[in-house]
Amino acid sequence: MSDRVLLDPAAAYPEVTRVRAALAARDWGGVRTVVDAAPPVGRSMLLRYGADGDHLEDFLRYVVATDPADSAAAAMLAMHLIDIGWKVRTGYRANHVSREQFASFHDWLRKAEVVLLDGVARTPADPALWVARITSARGLQLGLAETRRRYQRLAAIDPHHLPGQTQYLQRLCPKWSGSWELLFEWSRDAMKAAPPGGPQALLVAEAHIERWADESPDGRRYVRDPAVRAEIYEAAQRSVLHPEFRRDYGWVQLASTFAMLFCLIDDRDGAAAMFRMLGELGTELPWGYLGDDAPAVIAARRRWALGNGGLR
Amino acid sequence: MITQTEAGGVPVLLAPTTGPTHAGLAFRVGFADEPLARRGITHLTEHLALHSMGVTDYHYNGATGVEFTYFHMQGDEDKIVGFLNGVCASLRDLPMRRLAVEKDVLQAEASGRSPAVAEPMALWRHGARDYGTPAYPEWGLPAITEDELRAWVARYFTRENAVLWVAGDAVPAGLELDLPSGVRHPTPAPSSALPVTPAFFPGSSGLVVWDAMTPRGAKSAIFADVLERVMFRELRQEAGLSYTVQTDYQPIGRDGALVTAVADGLPENQGAVLGGMVDVLAALRAGRVDPADVAAVVTKRVEQFRHAESVGARLPGQALNLLLGRPVEDIEQVIGQSRAVTAADVAEAAAGAWQSGLLMSPVHPEHLGFAAAPSRSETAVHGYAHTSLEEPGHHLIVARGGVSLVQDENVATVRYADCVIARAWPDGARQLVGADGIVVRVEPTLFADGQRAIGAIDAATGPVRVFQPPRAADDIPKPQPRAKRAAAAVPVGGNRALSIFFLVVLWPAVLFFGAIGALLVISLFVDTEDLGATIVALVFCLGVAVAGAFGIRASMRRLRAARA
Repeated sequence: MSDRVLLDPAAAYPEVTRVRAALAARDWGGVRTVVDAAPPVGRSMLLRYGADGDHLEDFLRYVVATDPADSAAAAMLAMHLIDIGWKVRTGYRANHVSREQFASFHDWLRKAEVVLLDGVARTPADPALWVARITSARGLQLGLAETRRRYQRLAAIDPHHLPGQTQYLQRLCPKWSGSWELLFEWSRDAMKAAPPGGPQALLVAEAHIERWADESPDGRRYVRDPAVRAEIYEAAQRSVLHPEFRRDYGWVQLASTFAMLFCLIDDRDGAAAMFRMLGELGTELPWGYLGDDAPAVIAARRRWALGNGGLR
Repeated sequence: MITQTEAGGVPVLLAPTTGPTHAGLAFRVGFADEPLARRGITHLTEHLALHSMGVTDYHYNGATGVEFTYFHMQGDEDKIVGFLNGVCASLRDLPMRRLAVEKDVLQAEASGRSPAVAEPMALWRHGARDYGTPAYPEWGLPAITEDELRAWVARYFTRENAVLWVAGDAVPAGLELDLPSGVRHPTPAPSSALPVTPAFFPGSSGLVVWDAMTPRGAKSAIFADVLERVMFRELRQEAGLSYTVQTDYQPIGRDGALVTAVADGLPENQGAVLGGMVDVLAALRAGRVDPADVAAVVTKRVEQFRHAESVGARLPGQALNLLLGRPVEDIEQVIGQSRAVTAADVAEAAAGAWQSGLLMSPVHPEHLGFAAAPSRSETAVHGYAHTSLEEPGHHLIVARGGVSLVQDENVATVRYADCVIARAWPDGARQLVGADGIVVRVEPTLFADGQRAIGAIDAATGPVRVFQPPRAADDIPKPQPRAKRAAAAVPVGGNRALSIFFLVVLWPAVLFFGAIGALLVISLFVDTEDLGATIVALVFCLGVAVAGAFGIRASMRRLRAARA
């Protein structure tokens, strides 16, 4: 039985490898060829994955300076600057982040904001720019009204833009000065508004995981609440268990998130179905909530769910 | 058709009108020419000059503005001649026996005046000099002497510094305009208190205000109108964030102009109002200007020009242009300039305006590329430190060159050489304002050996000192222990919330009734039917607007902590 867990998005989406190769060759035309061929959600995700690379700032600034109308370059540059900032900040809760870390984090986000202001001014209908803007609004704590305005601008372009929705969802969590009421109301509405089999059930699933993590160490009691269980199953039926569910961009996150939820509510069969769908694929989040070594946590739960047969 | 002629050595602009004859005599002097220590001297001159007109039912008035002062009269020729000759005679020999009374009248007028929405902008942009002084009350009034008034008139109210416009068939016979001779005074060069732009300062009300210095002309004016259209669409119609969305284009000096944009919003939405407004500015700057917006704006402007021409309303503006040394422009020329403006011109104007932008925002806009405007001094003077009797870490430092108030990291310094006013109360309190707008307020009762500091300050600030009436004993602060003050500070929070509520509620009312009132004033000139009903409605609207403005002013005063 293999215990291998592949967290790299390139394992799920081969286009990521092509984007990385083009970036490594400083071939922006090559990057555009790949991202322009993707659907809008895939494009935002590919730009985001590409932005995760190192030492891209000078190159991307050059691309933006030579063609300010290239909103893909502006979006990737902004996402890259946001990433640098977030690595300085770390993902810990605010009380574990030092003053200096926060100052540097905000500096990087402000650099991204300046890029995004001009990017949106030129190409207001590019959803990837608004995804980045929702992310930086949260980091800079620009307030709910401005973050909501940004989300509404994105929703006007694409009402089901998952990469922006998962960012906005974070802003609605109490840890980012939102509230459970806001979070659940919005994520349920977004799920119900989505087409059958669409990935927006992820938002309800993530909302429950955020609540579970917050209730920890009493999280078990929370997820075993019959109403919560029922809603988790409803969300799964609308997405990963729906006949219309497709392995489009974002599917790995869905299957991985529902796998964890089924583990949390001790539904071995449910979890097994998700792990079979995933094969060796996995995601850092939400499994990171169960331990620092996400691959080890995933492998252990997978062994539990699949029993001796495991992944063959 | 406007024709140029001359009367009594004063240039005259003449244009036929369909309505009653009216005429105006304007001088190139206003608030921007006043040093802060004599703030109010032009307005006082205007009041004294009009006093001899007495109480009549003539349609006359006078007005003092930032750059101009004018006297206006509507009626038959005899009355116009009598009025303007009378004003000139009064200017030559002001009724000084009225001085004290008129100062009181002006103070009463000031307390009922509605503050302009963008008033703090001028102070933060220019400081406490030239184009910043209009943001201040008429603080110089108590100090103005008869000799100073005469000197002010001799300098500014002269033939060479005047222009007359007549909306009628000819210059009325018998008009003498017997004014002293002098020179034409150009407008002062606008100072800047902003080391870096785009800049911002924190506003405490329910408003986001942005302004920018632009070149004068059709491009900037049309940019302002396009900006209003786009802001209205995005902030009000689409996002539902703002009720009032307005822009304004105001010429400054001979070649400049100030474009101002205002958007209101509920306190909880101000971050989004700011974000939406800056997005609109950035879009125009980036060249995303809809030619349909430009065309709509140009069409509306052309209609306004044609209407204004038909009722002689272009005349005063052209007369003021002449005073600035600009050519008189005929209607077709002006219309042609507007029609020539393209979407690319508007984008260019927006890009230039962005660079000089100043933003007043309740929410910090640093992430959008705006630098904080200076609200304190970089350095303190080196001198004798008087320790605060309330906070041992706070000091009043008095030196040969100036005075500093040091409160932890907050330093306010006024150097005597740059001190534009020293307000002085009999109990010893002093308020010094530097040319950059920084304020040092000295309460001698709150510092060790405070009266000694007052002596040193007075010795250095004599020329700009303005004595104030005595304060009530209760208004003179007494040192309080820190704990007691903390307890006393609690109700202030409540007042602040109430003040913000008042501002949010009152602004729309004031703007609405003010706008209706303004339209009615215009209709008084244009349409004389139903005069009685119009005046009743006008009085009502202006009454509501003034009452609301009074409330806003009271709320603003409570809220305005910065720089005071």
